[in-house]
Amino acid sequence: MSDRTPVLFDIGWNACINCGACVAICPQPEPFISPFDTIAVDRPCDIACMLCEDICPVSTIEHTEVTSATNGNQSPYHR
Amino acid sequence: MHDTFYDVVVIGSGPAGATTARYLAERHLSVLLIDKRQELGAPVQCSGAVSRHALEEVDIPITDEFIQEPIYGFGIYDQAGDMTRIDYRMLKGDEYGPGNGKKPLGYVVDRRRFDRYLMTLAERAGATVQLKTEGLGYESLDDGQCRVRLRHFRQETSVRCRVVVGADGLMSQVGKWAGLRTHIRINELASCLQYVVDQVETEGLLEIITGHEWAPGGYAWVFPKGHGYAEIGLGVIPTFTDRDAQWHLRHFMEQSFFKDRFRDSRILEIQGGGVPLAAPLRVQYADHMILVGDAARHVNPITGGGIHTALSGGAIAAQFLTEHLSTDQPTRADQLAACQDAWYEELGRKMWKLYDVKTDIFREKDVPKRDLALFETMSSYFSPESEYKKI
Repeated sequence: MSDRTPVLFDIGWNACINCGACVAICPQPEPFISPFDTIAVDRPCDIACMLCEDICPVSTIEHTEVTSATNGNQSPYHR
Repeated sequence: MHDTFYDVVVIGSGPAGATTARYLAERHLSVLLIDKRQELGAPVQCSGAVSRHALEEVDIPITDEFIQEPIYGFGIYDQAGDMTRIDYRMLKGDEYGPGNGKKPLGYVVDRRRFDRYLMTLAERAGATVQLKTEGLGYESLDDGQCRVRLRHFRQETSVRCRVVVGADGLMSQVGKWAGLRTHIRINELASCLQYVVDQVETEGLLEIITGHEWAPGGYAWVFPKGHGYAEIGLGVIPTFTDRDAQWHLRHFMEQSFFKDRFRDSRILEIQGGGVPLAAPLRVQYADHMILVGDAARHVNPITGGGIHTALSGGAIAAQFLTEHLSTDQPTRADQLAACQDAWYEELGRKMWKLYDVKTDIFREKDVPKRDLALFETMSSYFSPESEYKKI
């Protein structure tokens, strides 16, 4: 468990080339994958290492931080 | 209702999985080969370069169905554009060439057609093949078998088997199910992008362009793609650059010594992938489970080539499983470890050696020295005298 603030990833779907690099680099011990073979976007990532953003060949992964007052399904998030 | 039983369930029908399944089926084991996709090989994540030897070694008929263009050699460039030409039409002209009685050194294949063809071969050999079928997990049973949970379209089912072969690629989930350490380091995964283009001439060579300026941590390439097309691509290591692969590919196409050659290029397809320039997994097996191909990191860490290593690894796994499953021995991790031992003897030792070579190159902090080391290593790797030409 990292001491970083959990993040929720947001993928620009049309820019995504479905290369799988984000899933390959993801250090989550359990599958953290979306139905479109990207990293999961429906739940917060508590590691928040951002390696998936770094590896993306087309820089189409962004994130919002999830504060303790919210969870992955609720607004507001802040950058 | 009882679950259907198979000797082996192979998850993922790429080169490694389909080859494993084909050889097992040929040897009269019952095999289920599944893939979650609707079209194998797609989305394309690979340049498609493979040696002829790699295909022949695992009995794949060489057919127009998947070949896009024959390859006769290599052109290795340094950052400034100086080229080492390794053209087997010149080096061994009586053996390699387009003429009668001569052969290509290798091919660029269409991965969509290639992967479909390999699945077809497995199916014809007797494997049961199912697309749109996703593995959800597996568990050991008390009777020495295991149950694999599957989803076919939207229907959840399960089957029983003695061994699961995880051939589910770079993003392997099968390895994670078994708790294997599959995580890859950020400095060992190349972020790759390539364009299939029109209006770029090629001459039957795989062209490899080194130099930190063009592809930090990796290299760029120009490969012939058949019908007058080419593919231009590169892989970069994120820890060597703050830019993404897309930026570097544009930089390479617009600023490098090839900018005039690429001036009229037209992009026809955009493809990308993560390529592990890493060591193979230290442990590639678990109870009732063996990993092959990209899932086991069976990728050449110098070239990033993974088709040959996937095909060979699949054949080795099938050979082991055929022998092992002909006995009543259990299929726990202790017994399946011998599969990795066999692979290590045939391929793994060389791959780890290549990994050490690659690591030494990129450990060098001085950029010109590092560039020179990569250029020289690539040049010698592809030469006829290379000790590694077989992988």
